[in-house]
Amino acid sequence: MNTVRHSLKINCVAESGKICNFIRGQVLSRYKRKGAVVGLSGGIDSAVTASLCVRALGKERVLGLILPEKESNPISKELGIACAERLGIDFEVVDITPQLEAFDLYKNRGRIIREIFPEFNDSCKFKVSIPQDLLDRDRYNFRIFTIKLPNGELKEKRLSINDWLQISAAQNIKQRIRMINLYYYAEKSNYLVAGTTNRTELLLGFYVKYGDGGVDIEPISHLYKMQVYDLANEFEIPAGIIDRLPSPDTYSLAVSDQEFFFCIPYDVLDLLLYAWENNISIEQLSLDMNLSLEQIKRAFRDFESKKNSSWHLRELPPGISG
Amino acid sequence: MNEQYKVKRFIIDNYIFEEEPEIIDDNDSFLEKGIIDSTGVMELIMFVEETYEIEVDDEEIIPENFDSVNKLCNYIKVKLESKIPK
Repeated sequence: MNTVRHSLKINCVAESGKICNFIRGQVLSRYKRKGAVVGLSGGIDSAVTASLCVRALGKERVLGLILPEKESNPISKELGIACAERLGIDFEVVDITPQLEAFDLYKNRGRIIREIFPEFNDSCKFKVSIPQDLLDRDRYNFRIFTIKLPNGELKEKRLSINDWLQISAAQNIKQRIRMINLYYYAEKSNYLVAGTTNRTELLLGFYVKYGDGGVDIEPISHLYKMQVYDLANEFEIPAGIIDRLPSPDTYSLAVSDQEFFFCIPYDVLDLLLYAWENNISIEQLSLDMNLSLEQIKRAFRDFESKKNSSWHLRELPPGISG
Repeated sequence: MNEQYKVKRFIIDNYIFEEEPEIIDDNDSFLEKGIIDSTGVMELIMFVEETYEIEVDDEEIIPENFDSVNKLCNYIKVKLESKIPK
């Protein structure tokens, strides 16, 4: 039997009970709040988190917030609403486009993009990705910027560090504006904000500081992504959410989590990540997963690099003690 | 200023913030020693392209070319040589 795969198996009933106890303890006893707000992105993590909150607190104590903007995939809003309706919770849809416009996000970002592709205009779509050959050769991650012209033509270029920093800073405003909205709705009802970050994202730094990482509790941050899928089977989550390819959904051109950040499909990534975290021998892993030693070492180097460059996301701001 | 010194100075000024060039060995792995992270590698690419007016191809963004002072200097040397008309 694949030993790593076996180690990642969870008892969904027991796990769900443990998380519900955690949510109740935090919301009611520790924070002394009346309920929880969950941002519903139309993805699996928020659907599972909202379901857990409903099971822990009751549907009348959970508010779903759906926060689309003009570049979101329209299906995200539909699935967010479908999730809230299935759970029977109150929900609000707040289009954050005007808030992002007030920040000049689209205008400023367009200016940066036109320096890279002068033909870029509001009718174009775009995305950022990284090379997907992580396991196949020794290489560093760099960002590839792709635009889709109105005639369907795709153009791509490697981003310079300065362009990437500017685009990434602009894009991160989206998650940070969502955080502000979540706290506005939470505080006016004396609720807390329940986060939706899973362990895979947490370990490798796949979230925005004070954006989707700005929350009061993280009920699923101990679960790898595939375990979140396992747990989803415990709940009545719309099939469209379970079947959907996970995506950051912050770029107008579709890009998956794998293309944007991880470079490895989740079902392989989680096994490698678990092995890396738990010092499982790479020889054993190689046999279990049918990967070469070199491929495993490349994945581990990438994990180390991502963990090291994202350490500040997982810590409180340092200060001088004493 | 020789290339070894110039590259080392860039690394020290941007990632180490120490005065002494001896703080890193020319063969130290930037990633293994935690000197440079993935953003740092992208900065290093820009430094090389702008300082030496050479174009770094995507396929060349590999540890063999960018992971130590010596590797980087060797890469720069080869790229500069390939620019000289024969």
